[in-house]
Amino acid sequence: MTMRASELAGGVRDGSIDPVEHTEKVLEEIERIDKDYHYLNTICADRARKAASDLKKGGSKGRLAGIPLSIKDSIVVKGVESTGGSAILKGYVPVFNATCVERGEKEGAIVIGKTSQDEFGFGAFAVNVGKGFRIPKNPIDPTRATGGSSGGAAGLAKKASFPTISYGESTGGSIVNPASFCDVFGLCPTYGRVSRYGLIDYGNSLDKVGPISRYLSDVALGLEVMAGHDAKDSTSADAPVEEFSSSIGKDLRGLRIGVIKESFGEGTEEDVKDAVWTGIKRLEGEGARYEEVNTPLAFEFGIPAYYIIGTSEASTNLAKYCGMRYGVQEETADGFNEYFTRIRSENLGDEAKRRVMLGTFARMSGVRDAYYLKAAKVRTKIIEEYKSLFKRFDILVSPTVPYKPPTFDEIGRLTPLQHYMADVMTVSPNLAGLPHLNIPAGMKKGLPVGMMAIADHWKESELFRAGAPFERP
Amino acid sequence: MSFSTETVIGMEIHAELKTKTKLFCSCSREANEFEKPNTRTCPVCLGHPGSKPVLNRKAVEYAIRVCLATGCAISPALIFSRKSYFYPDLAKNYQISQYEQPLGTKGSLSLDSGKEIGITRVHMEEDPASLVHPAGVGGSSSVLVDYNRSGNPLCEIVTEPDLETPDEAREFLKKLTSILNYLDVFDADSCIIKADANISIKGSGYTRVEIKNITGYKEVERALRYEITRQRQEVSSGGRIIQETRGWDADKGLTFRMRTKETEDDYGYIIDPDLTATAISAPWVRRIKEGLPELAHEKETRYVLEHKISIEDARVIAAEKDLARLFEKVAEKVSPILAARWLRRELVRVMNYSKIDFSGLKIDEKHLSDLLTLVEQKRITEKTAQKLMEQLIKEPFDVHEHVEKNGLASVNDDGAIEEACSQTINANPQAVSEYKAGSEKALNFLIGQVMRQTKGKADPKIIREKMLAGLDH
Amino acid sequence: MRVDEETIRHVARVARLNLTDEEVRRFLPQMKDIIKAVSVIDAVDTTDTLPSFQPIALPDRLRDDDPGTCLSQEEALRNAKGGSDGYFKGPKAV
Repeated sequence: MTMRASELAGGVRDGSIDPVEHTEKVLEEIERIDKDYHYLNTICADRARKAASDLKKGGSKGRLAGIPLSIKDSIVVKGVESTGGSAILKGYVPVFNATCVERGEKEGAIVIGKTSQDEFGFGAFAVNVGKGFRIPKNPIDPTRATGGSSGGAAGLAKKASFPTISYGESTGGSIVNPASFCDVFGLCPTYGRVSRYGLIDYGNSLDKVGPISRYLSDVALGLEVMAGHDAKDSTSADAPVEEFSSSIGKDLRGLRIGVIKESFGEGTEEDVKDAVWTGIKRLEGEGARYEEVNTPLAFEFGIPAYYIIGTSEASTNLAKYCGMRYGVQEETADGFNEYFTRIRSENLGDEAKRRVMLGTFARMSGVRDAYYLKAAKVRTKIIEEYKSLFKRFDILVSPTVPYKPPTFDEIGRLTPLQHYMADVMTVSPNLAGLPHLNIPAGMKKGLPVGMMAIADHWKESELFRAGAPFERP
Repeated sequence: MSFSTETVIGMEIHAELKTKTKLFCSCSREANEFEKPNTRTCPVCLGHPGSKPVLNRKAVEYAIRVCLATGCAISPALIFSRKSYFYPDLAKNYQISQYEQPLGTKGSLSLDSGKEIGITRVHMEEDPASLVHPAGVGGSSSVLVDYNRSGNPLCEIVTEPDLETPDEAREFLKKLTSILNYLDVFDADSCIIKADANISIKGSGYTRVEIKNITGYKEVERALRYEITRQRQEVSSGGRIIQETRGWDADKGLTFRMRTKETEDDYGYIIDPDLTATAISAPWVRRIKEGLPELAHEKETRYVLEHKISIEDARVIAAEKDLARLFEKVAEKVSPILAARWLRRELVRVMNYSKIDFSGLKIDEKHLSDLLTLVEQKRITEKTAQKLMEQLIKEPFDVHEHVEKNGLASVNDDGAIEEACSQTINANPQAVSEYKAGSEKALNFLIGQVMRQTKGKADPKIIREKMLAGLDH
Repeated sequence: MRVDEETIRHVARVARLNLTDEEVRRFLPQMKDIIKAVSVIDAVDTTDTLPSFQPIALPDRLRDDDPGTCLSQEEALRNAKGGSDGYFKGPKAV
């Protein structure tokens, strides 16, 4: 049985666990795992060893003392190559830390490496990796996908025999989706709960950093450390950081659950429906009450609105990648248009190109009213739809993904649009900035199913409350 | 829009605001003397992946001052947009600017003739970096980029196409600069002001040509004069004017083609999702309005009413903030009309001759008050005072002491002057008879003799009076 | 919304992407598909609805005008290739 990360930290603090020794074992294990599973784009062994040795010498005895942290490659770590999963940023070594990394290291965490992902977050299976990057494999069945875009983060959290917290990121579902496929807990906090400073942008009004781990209590610990206002991020909220861990084990009697009817329709696998209903019944057994609800706008218009807004923002965010100042750069006598075009065309993957084009299209003059501005209005309506439900319910529940983790072959047969449909459960809570949690809901035919709980803004405590019965022993 | 005048001109002016830090980061805005390139940058103004902007409150205040001084309606919220285009001087390949809702709209500025030039909008945006072309514009194989300037706060002021001549354009820019100076939001030493001018002539059916990046009001006039001539020549020789963007080469004194409309990018504006909408509350605007200094046109009116000086003198003095300040101080001690004449003509003349501007002026109101008090009391002649002014500009000294020490006090004794005149008449019979024969020159000769005799300390008017009296005797 | 090869080529150009003929052939039906799918938002009644550019209400975020620490020239240039004399190098701005 793997120790909890919180227990590891306790052991390091009281001296019963040697962080240097432990870190060495961790480094050796991830080297081994990585050969076949490809969870890490970069392993920062030197940095990890130094942090462990500093910690041992009497450095920080913080809440994350000695805990190995893996950081999604789109979250910058000072001095460690951070590519966002893209070839165009190969060689970019940031001169600053993301705020969430800084806070983690301040509490004594040991950053071990940068996890693999879809290029810039563009995908739901972590198969859209950048040119020259490796695709991560599902920890339970390596012929299957980890889910995306935080594939490496979720895969490592499951596969590792050591206690760990993975820092993931979600724009349209990229924390809970891979958490579901990899059978771990993954929490996407309320938008603004965790600073985005240092996160390589996909969609600025959609991106959130969040923790992924085998244990719910470790997810809570991770959130407690990373959350809180950051003056360097103008969209970071003032909401006070609660003791989220204390919600685990709270009485479930009276918890009001809204079961999202549309999520149990034709497009969802029977196994998934079964497993999630079992989960809902289990909560009922603990005293919760449920009712079926509808979120028609979320289901019909969530994906279109998300893809328009997300790609509109992303296409402006990716414009800076043009072969200047960092990442790929070349000698040239070309004019700037030719040079920029060549660098981008040669180093961005197909999905990145498609999304950049979609986003450029959606905000073009003559088009932007019907697409970009309209989508922003639809977003308002989707938010209103959820807010009115949260007047009557504490959490909403649905499957996280309509299916169990698919094989790479199955994925290879999907059109880009079908890829997008994988997000159908998760895009709308993400659009609305609502916190949501993947709860591992058990195995079917040897493959994991995830149940997703969504709470109102700032109500992560309800998610921890609802997830507690499913905590690993 | 229908035009009828011979020439139609509109301008877009970019003025750098005099804040301590940049618009979206805490890097210092002001260039140090002899500073090296890329020494005033950070991840934000370098456009490093993961960095995020945070708005400078002072810059907003300054921009509000500009809106108030130009009579603009002020937007209740400050909202930034991303203006996307690709160029080597843009750190992010988008500029954070304003599109949908500029801070100020529908303002105006009056020229001396009373003609009102409409101001369409006043908005805020960030400055790009500086480009250095190693082998001159157009001839080099690469550019060198310095991001020290990147992110500096700019205020953009856009006029209606109400200007009709290069003179008007020059006057407009001069007046605008004066206002910015008065508002203390712009500092000619450390801030840049640049203009783009749109110009069209009747002969071409008002086809618009844009001339970009003209520095200073003198160059604006030169550039427009050149361009009007160019267009007229083109039209009269049977050619066509195409809608295009041209640059101004100040050294060669000509405009040159930069790009045609067809190759211009669609800016694809989106609201910047990294920034929040800032409330521009009525109380905030009121506080700023109350703190505004008296502006040039207000001073002009006051000087004429209170001090009874001529409107031309009032205009010239009020237009220059430092000159106005000196005038107001000196007018407390001596007759304002005297002060106005001396400051407007003598002081300015001497400063221009010595190539000193107000920032290099070593004397202050005390020197000027002392000097003019002596003139007013006729204790020194105007000629003496002029000489003293020239000396003061070079090296300040105590005026009273200097006059004492060097015996510069004027000869005011009527008797002594009469005596000197008699002597001169007696000593120059030839000149006297020439005068009597009608020679003005002879009279001036005789007066000159007395002036030499009195070492310039006698008032020439009195000498002339006495001389004439003596001659007509 | 009519989406054809010209549209794709134009959008690619604005986005500084060179599409090979093969890519155009491959992307065109995919883009058409996607744009058609997202166009359904047209059906939503949004009269009197304000757009949301962020999902939550955020207070004003203004910074005091106090200078902070900048990167050294070396740090600023650390990730750059080919610069000289403290400048970044870039393609010519023709």
